[in-house]
Amino acid sequence: MRLLGVFKEDNREFFLLQDEGKFFKSDAQNLKDEFSNYDLIKNRDVSIGSEPVEGEGVFNFRYGPVTAGVKEAGVFNIYTYGERILSVNIDPSYKKRDIERLILKKNIDEGLKFAESVCGNFSVSHSLAFCRALENCAKLDLPEDAVRLRVVALELERLYNHTTVFLKLARGASQNVLTSHLSFVFEELLRINRDFGLSRFLKGVVVPGGVRVNESANFEDLSKRLLSLKDKFEELYEHALKSYNFIDRIHNTAPLDRELALKIGVTGPTLRACGVKEDLRIKEKGYEKLSVVVEEDGDSLARMEVRVKEFLNSTDVIVDNMAKVKSLDKLKGVDLKDLNGEGIGYSESPSGLLVYYVKLNRGILENVYISTPSVFGFKAFSEAFRGFIFTDFSFAFDSFGVHFSDCAR
Amino acid sequence: MKSWVFYGLSNRLTERFKKKDGKVKGLSPVFRNSLHIFPIDVGNDNELNFEIEALQSAQYNIHRFGIFFTDSPRHADILLILGRCTEKMVSPLKETINQLPSPYGIVVIEGSQPFGIKPKELDLDNVLAYYEQYLSADEVLSVLLNIMEVK
Repeated sequence: MRLLGVFKEDNREFFLLQDEGKFFKSDAQNLKDEFSNYDLIKNRDVSIGSEPVEGEGVFNFRYGPVTAGVKEAGVFNIYTYGERILSVNIDPSYKKRDIERLILKKNIDEGLKFAESVCGNFSVSHSLAFCRALENCAKLDLPEDAVRLRVVALELERLYNHTTVFLKLARGASQNVLTSHLSFVFEELLRINRDFGLSRFLKGVVVPGGVRVNESANFEDLSKRLLSLKDKFEELYEHALKSYNFIDRIHNTAPLDRELALKIGVTGPTLRACGVKEDLRIKEKGYEKLSVVVEEDGDSLARMEVRVKEFLNSTDVIVDNMAKVKSLDKLKGVDLKDLNGEGIGYSESPSGLLVYYVKLNRGILENVYISTPSVFGFKAFSEAFRGFIFTDFSFAFDSFGVHFSDCAR
Repeated sequence: MKSWVFYGLSNRLTERFKKKDGKVKGLSPVFRNSLHIFPIDVGNDNELNFEIEALQSAQYNIHRFGIFFTDSPRHADILLILGRCTEKMVSPLKETINQLPSPYGIVVIEGSQPFGIKPKELDLDNVLAYYEQYLSADEVLSVLLNIMEVK
């Protein structure tokens, strides 16, 4: 069983729990001592990571919130005596937008906009988890074509996110040709997104009970463009593996132990890079072509390899689903404006498990809790980066694919 | 398999760029051929950060226009403010503006998120262009080229 969240309702504390493919809320009493990541989740808006370290010559090197090395507004408190990193403590509060509070008393349409705005590059994952929570509450079944188009959208999101991780690692190692070609792939993927869903970040595609895609999109043409990018990506990956300058920087960098990963609550490519074969997509409809990618080493290279292989596999999943879509009619969603009750929805985002708990009264959101993979990813980074030197920062951090906007909702 | 050098040379990725005209203020004719940009995330949902990443892709090849991203505000001609501000980013934003050398300009892109402090409420000086909506990479490039062209 995995603890994903801690939230208050009616002045009582509840846990958001996962047991394999099942998600449920449970009274927190008597369960606190069972989960070692309780404090991490409770403090996720204030501080994530290890405790500050003191000692002779040890100082806090504050990295962020305005620096070219960290593109987002967030702060890394790095404790070091000048060379080796002794401890990392992350302050996500600079990016805190208080979305879980602002979303309350909003209707479902407004709530969906807020969910999509948590993290723009995970907008499909957030809107999908939010909509699934509503659909579970309404006990709604989706038409098969809608399910397949959601799979396409989620996997398109995975493609460009995985490409950026690979791109950032290449840039960190000054692999300029590789970076340039990967940036080409990245922009092409955003253009494919726009042609498929009318938004470069696929916003507005997933709606309660359905999907909204570009009705004039030519799926055959999109599949051809994707397969051509897949060939290019595979070729770039083979090139990259032959560059010792590149591989030396990420091999054995920031390794994460399998037991520690499970203890923290990490999911997604980071967990699969530690040898744990866990991916909830495997049981879902539309993933007949999915093969779960696992690596054993748990280091930056393993995390990159998992993402690259997932990219290649996701392309096949997308092409397969695009070919199986029969019609775009009657997929535009269901009106849930009088919905009452509570529901939990999840999605396998590009960086791990994303879960929404929602409670509604006559279609108005009364309580929302968002469990994001970046919270656990930041903690994993802080643990894995200990003992390395600052030069390894970008190779360690970028390989986790975590974002302050996803963490500090 | 070709070596990196030949692989790089054998693929032409840069595209012709057709700029869209738009109303912006100019900075100085000095910047007609060269503009250095420092982007700052003040709380956007990452969409705009990703668009800035896309702007640096091979298709746009912004260096051919003399546009470069800098690692420090002290080397920048333009501060590109991305998103609506979170409360804690107001002070770092103002300090970043203090670090800009004169003359400098500010371009604001609020993005599509429906919350946060609007940068126009912060009474910023030298704002050359202000967009309340989200802009894609090609639209951002058009804005920068328009700023460079103002006489």
